[in-house]
Amino acid sequence: MDFFPFLVTQCLNALSQAALLFFLGVGLTLIFGIMRIVNFAHGSFYMLGAFIGYSVARGTGSFWAGLVLSPLIAGGFGTAFEIGLLRRLYRRDASAFLMVTFGLTLVLGEVVRLLWGVQGLQLQLPTALAGIVFLFDEPFPVYRLFLIGAGAVVAIAIWQFLERTRLGLLIRATSQNAEMVQALGVDVNLVRSGIFGVGCGLAALGGVLAAPMVTASLGMAANAIVDAFVIVIIGGMGSFPGSLCAALLVAFVQVFGTYYFPDFAIAAMYLLMLLVLVIRPGGLLGKEA
Amino acid sequence: MALLELDNLTKRYGGLVAVNRVTMRVDVGEVRAVIGPNGAGKTSLFHLITGVVRATEGDVRFNGRSLNGLSPYRICQAGLSRTFQLTALFPEMTARENTRLSAQARLARRWQPYGGGSVFAEAARRGDEALERLGLTDVARRPAGLLSHGDQRLLEVAMALAQRPRILLLDEPTQGLSVEETLSAVETLSGLLADGQLTVLLVEHDMEVVFRLARKITVLHRGSVIADDVPEVVKADANVQAAYLGGYT
Amino acid sequence: MGNWRLFFLAAIVLAAAPLGLPLFAMTLLTEALILGLLAMSLDLMVGYTRMISFGHAAAYGLGAYTCGFLALHTAMPLPFSLLAAALLAGVVAIGVGWVCTMATGISFSMLTLAFAQLLYALAFKWTSVTGASDGLAGIPRRAGPFGMTVLETRNGYYYLVLASMLGGFALCRSLVNSPFGAVLRGIRENEAKTLSLGYNTRLYKISVVTISFALGGLAGALYAPFAGFANTDLLFWLFSGQVLIMVIVGGQGTLVGPILGAAFFMLVEHVLSAYTDAWALFFGLIFIGFVMFALEGIWRILTSRLPARSRA
Repeated sequence: MDFFPFLVTQCLNALSQAALLFFLGVGLTLIFGIMRIVNFAHGSFYMLGAFIGYSVARGTGSFWAGLVLSPLIAGGFGTAFEIGLLRRLYRRDASAFLMVTFGLTLVLGEVVRLLWGVQGLQLQLPTALAGIVFLFDEPFPVYRLFLIGAGAVVAIAIWQFLERTRLGLLIRATSQNAEMVQALGVDVNLVRSGIFGVGCGLAALGGVLAAPMVTASLGMAANAIVDAFVIVIIGGMGSFPGSLCAALLVAFVQVFGTYYFPDFAIAAMYLLMLLVLVIRPGGLLGKEA
Repeated sequence: MALLELDNLTKRYGGLVAVNRVTMRVDVGEVRAVIGPNGAGKTSLFHLITGVVRATEGDVRFNGRSLNGLSPYRICQAGLSRTFQLTALFPEMTARENTRLSAQARLARRWQPYGGGSVFAEAARRGDEALERLGLTDVARRPAGLLSHGDQRLLEVAMALAQRPRILLLDEPTQGLSVEETLSAVETLSGLLADGQLTVLLVEHDMEVVFRLARKITVLHRGSVIADDVPEVVKADANVQAAYLGGYT
Repeated sequence: MGNWRLFFLAAIVLAAAPLGLPLFAMTLLTEALILGLLAMSLDLMVGYTRMISFGHAAAYGLGAYTCGFLALHTAMPLPFSLLAAALLAGVVAIGVGWVCTMATGISFSMLTLAFAQLLYALAFKWTSVTGASDGLAGIPRRAGPFGMTVLETRNGYYYLVLASMLGGFALCRSLVNSPFGAVLRGIRENEAKTLSLGYNTRLYKISVVTISFALGGLAGALYAPFAGFANTDLLFWLFSGQVLIMVIVGGQGTLVGPILGAAFFMLVEHVLSAYTDAWALFFGLIFIGFVMFALEGIWRILTSRLPARSRA
């Protein structure tokens, strides 16, 4: 194999991997940035998204229906959880959220097991996405290109939303000073519930998108939450561009690490995190430790 | 004899100069106040001395030895004890436990992982002494978080005092107190400083407090020193009046 | 102090347990004591220093694998294997603590989780030592030194576990009541202030992680010959979370509470699993309930009902 085609396909692989990691990390970092809480159940929403996506796609016969409905359903559930439980905790220490959402992780894991069983479920791709294309005579899955596109679209959409819209401004203001925003006559609770739902929905979207490649399984949640934490730590807690950079960095290290040092690939992500922490304790684009 | 010397101390945040070439000294037994309008760089100066932030340029010397680059705990171990502008206590511990833990930091066996009766006894003795000097003996057994705001401010001073520091750094000791509370706190503090045994560097924006407590005053304006003298001279200084007192009266 | 009288009373009751309890109950009790030791070791970090670790399974797994490896591949007497396992966990903890204490608060929790997952991943890859996904099986209970065969019996092993637990408890209690422990409480309530008082807080925190991991490693080392196996489940983040649940439900910052929490966890698992295989669902709900409405935990709820003791 020539080096150039190899490089191109590996880079595209890394980009599609980065898109998946970005979906995972961005929801968590958005929730942290605005609400100052860490959602331990984030990985569970990712898993939930994959399973709901599977069921919707089977029921309706359309992958696209699953892709759209699953994040909405999971996001709605996230909002309900925020209103029902988390809202009572805002005066408490941040670790209370971590623990309550860990409890939710246990509950969701069991609920998914009871509803869908322990078997991994394969989400079928529509024919348009299932094929392969040839890039410099190298075969490459169309679906991976689709992931890169989806990642880019979502990243730009979130960025434009935060920077350009009035609601985005409001959300950024809430992260700076919730009391002040409240005093301006804005219902901060509504903003928080909404953001929590959006964050969970983004995780679910990542789950649906990952499902055709990794199969929907109970093990998804565990790996996802750790990956999401690593992305958020590397990028800087609460930094949106940080989560994008971190997703790209980790994906490239994973893809090329697996190729050149297959035995150490599993540790590569953690070593990268360690390196970033030693150099910048607050993460790449974080404010401080 | 100079105990604390700042030499051309400068701190820049990007384009903003928070502290600009500040040179000053605090002699043994002196009570010096650093004053200035809001944003003059008083708190930044304090952070530089106590090692919370690092200087861009210049040097802090304590007893002839440079403190540059030392972490806050080492600076404290060198004999500089501080209070915070926003009250920083251990709210669930009693006042007595607060001063005891503070005094313990200066004992050689402070880290002993077993027993510790004699360590606690010595630390409590020093702590109780400090509580008494600040008139807090009556509230010593109450949780610090439940004390009145005035007592909390004094407790912080007591904690610093319990360390038997060579220099006491007070960051706006009457910050957030009502007029009556301020009067009573100043009364207590001036009693504490009356015997001239303590060396104190005080940051304060309340002029009444400064003129009651300090014998030397350094005036900061936009990060730079614009006056440095005894209170009477500083009061009369035209620059100072323009920068600060003018808007004050 | 009345507390020590209670301690001796509990020790005597536990020592007499093999006389009256049926076999299956002894098995449960032994495991509860091992988990109690683990939960208590985590309490040093969570309850006394406010370092919420989501990676304590790392200590347990390290201890279990080390002890299992030594028992399978060497003739080392069991007590020495236990010590070696605790020591190794402690040494690893110096590195873990050094890295994780670069961050505070939530980031610290996330880092501990990542570290535990790194070990989990390693255990899958390092087949020659860990047996990968099969784990280590058939771990024997080696006789003690000088031909002490008593440790090979079920009751003998129970007494070894009991002695380790009580010893660990005495050690932790002495630690938290010492000058060192007073500094830990300072860090718990206001770390920045503790630092400004002249305490090298990071060194204290690394020390706590080390002690906590060594004791947690001892618990894991006791588990391996008891269960006869060590597998990757012992290193999994879900287990880390379960240990944290034991600490919170039992009562953080009390040492006794987490031991009760471990026993409560075992009991609930045992009772619920007789009715439903989704017992973890209910356990998650119980945990959420405790965090939301009873953060003081079982032990403080119990002692506040006994007015004579709570005033002491």
